[in-house]
Amino acid sequence: MPLYAMLLPTIAYFLIFTYYPLAHAVVISMQQFNLIGHRPFVGMRNFLAVLADPNFWSSFRNTLVLGTGILVIGFVAPILIALSLNEVMQGWLKRSLQMIIYLPHLFSWVVVGGLWIQLLAPDGGLVNAVLWALGIPPVQFMSDPQLARWVIILVSVWKDMGFNCIIYLAAIVGINPALYESARVDGAHRWHEIIYITIPSLARTMQVVALLSIMGLLRLFDQIYVMRNAVIEPQVNVLMTYVYDQGFQQMNIGQATASALLILTVTLFLTLFTRRLIRYDTV
Amino acid sequence: MGNAAFVAINLLFLAMIASTMIVPLWNAVAVSFSSDLGSMQPGILMWPRDFGFTGYTSIWTVLDLWQPFENSVIVSVVGTTVHVLFSALAGYALAQSALPMRRTITVGILVTMMIPFEAIMIPFYVTVQELGLLNTLTALILSGMVSGFSILLMRNFFLSIPGDVFESARMDGAGHFRLFFQICMPLSKAGLATVALFEFVGRWNNLLSTVLLINSASKDTLQVALNSLINQQSSTSSGTLITTNVKMAGIIIAVLPLILAYPFAQKYFVKGIFLGSSKE
Repeated sequence: MPLYAMLLPTIAYFLIFTYYPLAHAVVISMQQFNLIGHRPFVGMRNFLAVLADPNFWSSFRNTLVLGTGILVIGFVAPILIALSLNEVMQGWLKRSLQMIIYLPHLFSWVVVGGLWIQLLAPDGGLVNAVLWALGIPPVQFMSDPQLARWVIILVSVWKDMGFNCIIYLAAIVGINPALYESARVDGAHRWHEIIYITIPSLARTMQVVALLSIMGLLRLFDQIYVMRNAVIEPQVNVLMTYVYDQGFQQMNIGQATASALLILTVTLFLTLFTRRLIRYDTV
Repeated sequence: MGNAAFVAINLLFLAMIASTMIVPLWNAVAVSFSSDLGSMQPGILMWPRDFGFTGYTSIWTVLDLWQPFENSVIVSVVGTTVHVLFSALAGYALAQSALPMRRTITVGILVTMMIPFEAIMIPFYVTVQELGLLNTLTALILSGMVSGFSILLMRNFFLSIPGDVFESARMDGAGHFRLFFQICMPLSKAGLATVALFEFVGRWNNLLSTVLLINSASKDTLQVALNSLINQQSSTSSGTLITTNVKMAGIIIAVLPLILAYPFAQKYFVKGIFLGSSKE
């Protein structure tokens, strides 16, 4: 069967590197796991340890707070920009602007984090240099627990808005032009076209983007790993950094795996729930 | 509000947004070409202060960024090639209605898309350890060898090829592998380019796999080396102060391949993003 030969690498990969680890995770989560040597079973103790760990709950809270911020601001920003870009009549200008706004999404979190850590630095950073020129004293953006969450949220939105913007622009192009023509015949202003035609026509796209963004929240890791520091960690550590820290810093592999399984289960339910919600909505 | 005012305000808004992308990059370029001392002085820097190449020379010589750069190139190029080939092969097989258990296999692939890599990072690490591949570039190439996203994208591309193209080839007695390599691949260049681009950027930018699987500096990729440079961790074992121009030079080196390729690749990105979102 040549067709199965073609699928063999894929099936082997998913079995070895996705399904086996997933099944193994269930076993590890019930063990006192040592990388080398004896691995006694401890039942539910790892799960109880996770639920009793204040760090887990603060990471959970941070994920909710940062996630809500990223979700809300990151939802509105690309729509605004896409609508705005759509009004630009010069094709070359529209393309260049779209390209520039997409640029940060192309960069790694190491690059984006590094750029902003430098820009926001109290000594020599561009932002503080501008503030100083305006007579404002330097702000410790990266070591102020009050500001750190805003920095994380805004930098995340900044990086990713160009991506969703492209999705919206593509959807706007797909809107039936007859709708605009009839509106124009009725003497509608541009504002009215945007509010009564464009935005309602984007509802389906908005749902897809929202769904993708909600699922992306759990994956919040790289940004925090790069941008956190000892001072702001209590405010910005998230669930996935908790798993990483437990597993590879504290070497509490059993407990880390238990927490990852808990998070995965909750997210799978959340995903199925939002999917269902969106399905029913569109029927 | 008049039309002219509307256009002006709109452009001003977009210019403001775009400047938040351009100014940081330009600032990084200016700092990277400043002297060690010049880059550390406060002030609005939009032009190199004491122009020089010390940022770039010290990053290559003193910090030996060449090795991580080379590792990143190997992992990204080999990994992308393998990824595109295997994902396309699987996509082709799934596009054939004659495939037994097609539905089961497709569901099995769809489920993997709901499990983020981050959630299984620990058992993934353990698996790699069990295979004896910890601390090898092979492990980095293997990780993400195929993905549900790429497979489905390729499958949709192959499904859009008109059936009669296959029929005539099959009349000539061509097997599946010949159909795949001689007919499907040449007809799906756009799809292959899209998958390859996304994968290449993803691999070039990947941080977590390397952080997990690599524990010696000689095997680190560019992103990890850059991260320790920016956060002044292991790379500074000598205790020397890493000046800002060196850090920014590192950032420019890491984004240069992407920025250079981007204008040519943009249409594939737009296509891929659109396909990815409309697939739902």
